[in-house]
Amino acid sequence: MYLRILSLYFVALTSSIYADSYEFGHGFNLYDQLTVGGYVSTELESNTRSDTFTIDDVAMMAYGNIGSNFSYLGELEAIGFYHKNVTDGDEGGSQKFHIERLYGDMWISDTFNLRFGKQITPIGYWNLEPINVLRDTTSNPLYSKLLFPKFLTGMDINGYLPQSSSTRYHLFGQTTHDMDEEYINIPNTHFYGVALEHELSFETSFGGSIGEFITLSSNERTRFVQGNMKYENGSLLITTEAIASKTEYQTAQTDYTLSGYLQSVYHISNEHAVVGRYEYYDDHHLDYTDHIGVLGYSYRPIYPVSIKGEYQWHSQENENRTLFSFSVLF
Amino acid sequence: MKQIALLCLLCLALSASEYSVVISKKIMISAVTAQQIRDIFLMKRHSLGNQKVIPVNLLGQDISRITFENEILKMDRDHLNAYWIKQHFQGITPPITQSSYDSVKMFVQNVEGAIGYIPSSMVDNGVKVIHEF
Repeated sequence: MYLRILSLYFVALTSSIYADSYEFGHGFNLYDQLTVGGYVSTELESNTRSDTFTIDDVAMMAYGNIGSNFSYLGELEAIGFYHKNVTDGDEGGSQKFHIERLYGDMWISDTFNLRFGKQITPIGYWNLEPINVLRDTTSNPLYSKLLFPKFLTGMDINGYLPQSSSTRYHLFGQTTHDMDEEYINIPNTHFYGVALEHELSFETSFGGSIGEFITLSSNERTRFVQGNMKYENGSLLITTEAIASKTEYQTAQTDYTLSGYLQSVYHISNEHAVVGRYEYYDDHHLDYTDHIGVLGYSYRPIYPVSIKGEYQWHSQENENRTLFSFSVLF
Repeated sequence: MKQIALLCLLCLALSASEYSVVISKKIMISAVTAQQIRDIFLMKRHSLGNQKVIPVNLLGQDISRITFENEILKMDRDHLNAYWIKQHFQGITPPITQSSYDSVKMFVQNVEGAIGYIPSSMVDNGVKVIHEF
């Protein structure tokens, strides 16, 4: 099935006879109803145990408008496409493509837009731009991976608040199984939340969200409150996000997890940037706390091509590591 | 006296807005803010009041487009390119383009809800000015 979709995708991609002039990183706009694109990333990691090379993401996407009020987006991704442990010689990987996103958008007005299907959970900044090529570091902060479902298979009502020119809202919910349960960090059949994002000025925005989900495997309920803030002025971009969650464990008492990060990116030029990040992760239930410092460098010969390197210091023993990546969006 | 009058005229001419953001005369909107125009051309908003709008941009790197991007969108070409690459991942494409001021003007006149910018000297009874820069 996925192979058939893959073949159709490449037929569409190579039908550039119909395409407008192509701009790298902007997708192939074949018709108003169809733009296709994709991305790929590779990663090299060296830690205290091993050195590994991974072709991490191979993804393709298609989207477009159908009429003036309806649009759609579909994305298939193979994660961990190829993996080689350079230290012991083991290699493997999965070429199975998963549904990363598959949704429709129905625009009623700027204050009421309906998104239905599998979509990225509209929380904060990091979760909305999760792919390597769009990030400034190879790694993701723990904040973005462990504390709420990254995807939502359900409904998101969103738009600008009435009478507001700078505050957006999201009201989202999921009551079914995930469209592809092999491909989500926290499988669940119950996930609700509200998110707000306010643009204070052209440079500064902030927001927050609250929500709850029940994990499918353990039937444990987690409630969370999250906040985020961004400042961008010319060459400097500062982003911070934090979350506090409370989980009602089946076999233990209710406990808290706190996590957050503060990241600063300084663009030396359009191509070169240095990145510094501090992360905090504290899981009371597992009695696991880590302070992480990241220092990285990002080089983009052109924006949709990203070459990055970073070193991570962890307060946890033996967790320090070096990461390099190369990623492309087309 | 004549010299002072000429000087005043010259000052007026220099301070006049060079470009106008225009929509069809049939649309009942008289003025919009720079932020509203920015949100429309960045495809964050799709309407003005109850009117669905279709932004139309000028193809290429004409000086008016660069002025529009700097003064209204508040982004240089590199930032805008990065912005649209991020939007590509979100399934959003930039506004449609027309190859000349004449075709922008004609598009605005003939397509309901179209919004574009042209030199102020080209404004006539066929279009309505809602913002100047």
